[in-house]
Amino acid sequence: MTTVTNKTDNTGDVRLSGISKTYDNGFTAVHPLDLTVPQGSFFALLGASGCGKTTTLRMIAGLEEPSSGTVHLGEQNVTALPPYKRPVNTVFQSYALFPHLDIFENVAFGLRRRGIKSVKKQVEDMLDLVQLGEQARKKPHQLSGGQQQRVAVARALINHPKVLLLDEPLGALDLKLRRQMQLELKRIQTEVGITFVHVTHDQEEAMTMADTVAVMNAGRVEQLGSPADLYENPRTTFVANFLGTSNFIEAEVDTKNGDDIVLKAGGGKLVLPEARCSAPTATGGKVLVGVRPEKISLTHADDAGDIPEGRNRITGRIADSSFIGVSTQYVVDSPVCPEFEVYAQNIDRDARLVPGTEVVLHWNPAHTFGLDAAQDIDAGIQEEAAV
Amino acid sequence: MTFVKWLKRNLVVIAGLLTLGYLLLPNVVVTVFSFNNPKGRFNYEWQQFSLDAWKDPCGVADMCGSLSVSLQIAFWATIGATVLGTMIAFALVRYRFRARGAVNSLIFLPMAMPEVVMAASLLTLFLNMGAQLGFWTILIAHIMFCLSFVVTAVKARVMSMDPRLEQAAQDLYAGPFQTFVRVTLPIAAPGIAAGAMLAFALSFDDFIITNFNAGSTVTFPMFVWGSAQRGTPVQINVIGTAMFVVAVLFVLASMVISNRRNKQKA
Amino acid sequence: MATLTEAPPPLTPTAPEKKPPRKRGRLVPYWLLLPGILWLLVFFALPMIYQASTSVQTGSLEAGYKVTWHFATYWDALSEYYPQFLRSVLYAGSATILCLILGYPLAYLIAFRAGRWRNLIMILVIAPFFTSFLIRTLAWKTILADGGPVVGALNTLHVLDVTSWLGMTQGDRVLATPLAVVCGLTYNFLPFMVLPLYTSLERIDPRLHEAAGDLYAKPVTTFRKVTFPLSMPGVVSGTLLTFIPAAGDYVNADLLGSTDTRMVGNVIQTQFLRILDYPTAAALSFILMAAILVMVTVYIRRSGTEDLV
Repeated sequence: MTTVTNKTDNTGDVRLSGISKTYDNGFTAVHPLDLTVPQGSFFALLGASGCGKTTTLRMIAGLEEPSSGTVHLGEQNVTALPPYKRPVNTVFQSYALFPHLDIFENVAFGLRRRGIKSVKKQVEDMLDLVQLGEQARKKPHQLSGGQQQRVAVARALINHPKVLLLDEPLGALDLKLRRQMQLELKRIQTEVGITFVHVTHDQEEAMTMADTVAVMNAGRVEQLGSPADLYENPRTTFVANFLGTSNFIEAEVDTKNGDDIVLKAGGGKLVLPEARCSAPTATGGKVLVGVRPEKISLTHADDAGDIPEGRNRITGRIADSSFIGVSTQYVVDSPVCPEFEVYAQNIDRDARLVPGTEVVLHWNPAHTFGLDAAQDIDAGIQEEAAV
Repeated sequence: MTFVKWLKRNLVVIAGLLTLGYLLLPNVVVTVFSFNNPKGRFNYEWQQFSLDAWKDPCGVADMCGSLSVSLQIAFWATIGATVLGTMIAFALVRYRFRARGAVNSLIFLPMAMPEVVMAASLLTLFLNMGAQLGFWTILIAHIMFCLSFVVTAVKARVMSMDPRLEQAAQDLYAGPFQTFVRVTLPIAAPGIAAGAMLAFALSFDDFIITNFNAGSTVTFPMFVWGSAQRGTPVQINVIGTAMFVVAVLFVLASMVISNRRNKQKA
Repeated sequence: MATLTEAPPPLTPTAPEKKPPRKRGRLVPYWLLLPGILWLLVFFALPMIYQASTSVQTGSLEAGYKVTWHFATYWDALSEYYPQFLRSVLYAGSATILCLILGYPLAYLIAFRAGRWRNLIMILVIAPFFTSFLIRTLAWKTILADGGPVVGALNTLHVLDVTSWLGMTQGDRVLATPLAVVCGLTYNFLPFMVLPLYTSLERIDPRLHEAAGDLYAKPVTTFRKVTFPLSMPGVVSGTLLTFIPAAGDYVNADLLGSTDTRMVGNVIQTQFLRILDYPTAAALSFILMAAILVMVTVYIRRSGTEDLV
């Protein structure tokens, strides 16, 4: 191993080229996939169960043999290496702590297997780091879920892996503990600077923790980017629905106006920046116009004249409203979209906005995104609910 | 009235304890009659208290020899059946292979077969092969019928084992051999131990299959059978009682130890 | 923290490109299976074939036996020994039913009512195994001895009148009667009933009893509609584990019975080891095996349980 100076150190890069997995029964879990995770980043693979994210992770770990393609760690091709020869470690789903060994021996396991004799100091330091110094001689089943999770992290990190793989590491914890552990893991990652590849089905978890998120669906990466990018500018209905909620209007391309596209929807016109449209934009082409519920303002039909020029607007009637503290969520029945969702911050509540009221919905065109209309509008919705 | 109510509520307990009594009564008789000083050759009627048999347990010709034969066969049969059975159990749980159904049937059939059928057919084989009946034929037969029970016991344990534990070991730099020795084997150990104990008990106590395939070799159950025809020495009861007591003490001791260990750790 | 940011300890350098691709031993399961399966094939399956061939041979011990496809042996064996076959089914069936009746309360007691005594009772159920079953069976000779307390009590309670009317006993004797044999069989195979029953009862969530009670079921109804159906897997495997060995047993019939209580096991044993009429013995044991396999298959089908042991 040649020593590379720190700035250009890329030994922690994970590079997947054309990697795929097809099982003996013909099921393809992962279609050929190219992916590069840069050294030191916190990378999340997000998707519903069965989307291939865990299989991808297991191929990096060496627990699953790829049907094609290669896995590189830095410059090293590890595709043919068994898991015990790869410089990566895994935090398993439901932790897989060895029930017959105590916490100390669990954490020391990897060091001992590599023939390191004096493990005491290292293990104790590591247990202190995860605040489990007192529990060293207990068996895993005597610890709480959160403590077990920390043991699993300690057991992997003590080996100084180049990459730490986390397979739904917080799946077994309750909501409050999850939030706490998310911050904790993020803190550890920042401190140790190791590449983390994190598999999760929880979009909020992925967005909170990761620098880069790859959204996977049916064995393919749908979109890859920073959490904000994915949220603000989804390129498929799956991503738009899986990350948060989106409203869709079916529209037709009318004309182009500089950098903007003008679309016809129902009787009205909508404006969409061309840069935010992932669909073909020939005149007459169909486009799904998307907008997030919290970007939309709601104005009583009587005050429609007060709405500034240049905003996208559609009309409708409030079908339902529910007050949830920080905001009020409205469902608006509109000719162009039957169930338009609007989240309005509770700052100046208009008391007239009750179900049955005629309203105008309007938003900044810059918050609009355009998608190919040939997709299933509901893609990604049920999957998230099913998890 | 309250008594009737109590009786109603505890009827199942009383019935269960009566069954337990039925199960234990012969052992009580065996123990009591180990202190008997019988008049004739048979130890079926109580005469008077005596410690003679306990003072000289090997005082009967050939009995302790047969006991040692039985212990040796049980020991080797346990090892053989446990090793072969554990291997099969791992293959069944951990791997996919052709002819799984046939293998499962072959494991199941010996348990669903009356002993006398297996005994007779095995004897046919040995006679046809011209094999010398004795220690080795008994051992072969015992490994054969203990095997299925070991497979069942080990399989149950391995099936309940999380495969991620082995993957975790591999992920933590343990090669296949290390993984097996450090993780798989310790976790499967209770199942293997249960299978081995079952095999030992089955082998040690087997009479029917042994009787067919023993030739002139005499195991302890065969000695008892023979003495039931010729005359039952009190020493038989001494051995029976001693084994019962040793077994109960052994189990109780291991329970106390594991209890204490758990309490310390908690 | 310093420990973590240190350079990772070097792993063994490897050059995987030069090595042939790793074989994930597809042969491993076959190697694991090979010795054990071979053992069963040679010492369990092959003997069955030998026995089948023996059953259609004719000849004598002195002149040797030859395969002559003499199927009449089967017919002769059946017509000569059908009483023993009937007795085997009858005795084993009675013992199985008795085991179920006696064993169920005990299994129930261990599963739901024993509390901290559970382990002790379990030990007491298993421990007798460690005393040779022949010794324990001989103890029944003492317990059921003529004029002994048990027989006396049964006589006083007029139980013997009933059993004698049923043909199970004769006069005021129990020993050397069918009753003694059934009693011995029941005793010997009772643990094989109790243990599977306990296993399946133990899996039942006790809250189901409370739920049934909450939904207006009386205790008896709760048992009939909830507990018993849920324990069916245990009942099925318990009855099989009791019936099969009991039907082939000859020890109880020999030690506790008389020449009038001989079962098919006794016949096979005598033919094989004393009379040395191998074809007849082989035919008998083949019939027994076939009969049991058929009964077991039908029974499993009808009870709708596929998982056995």
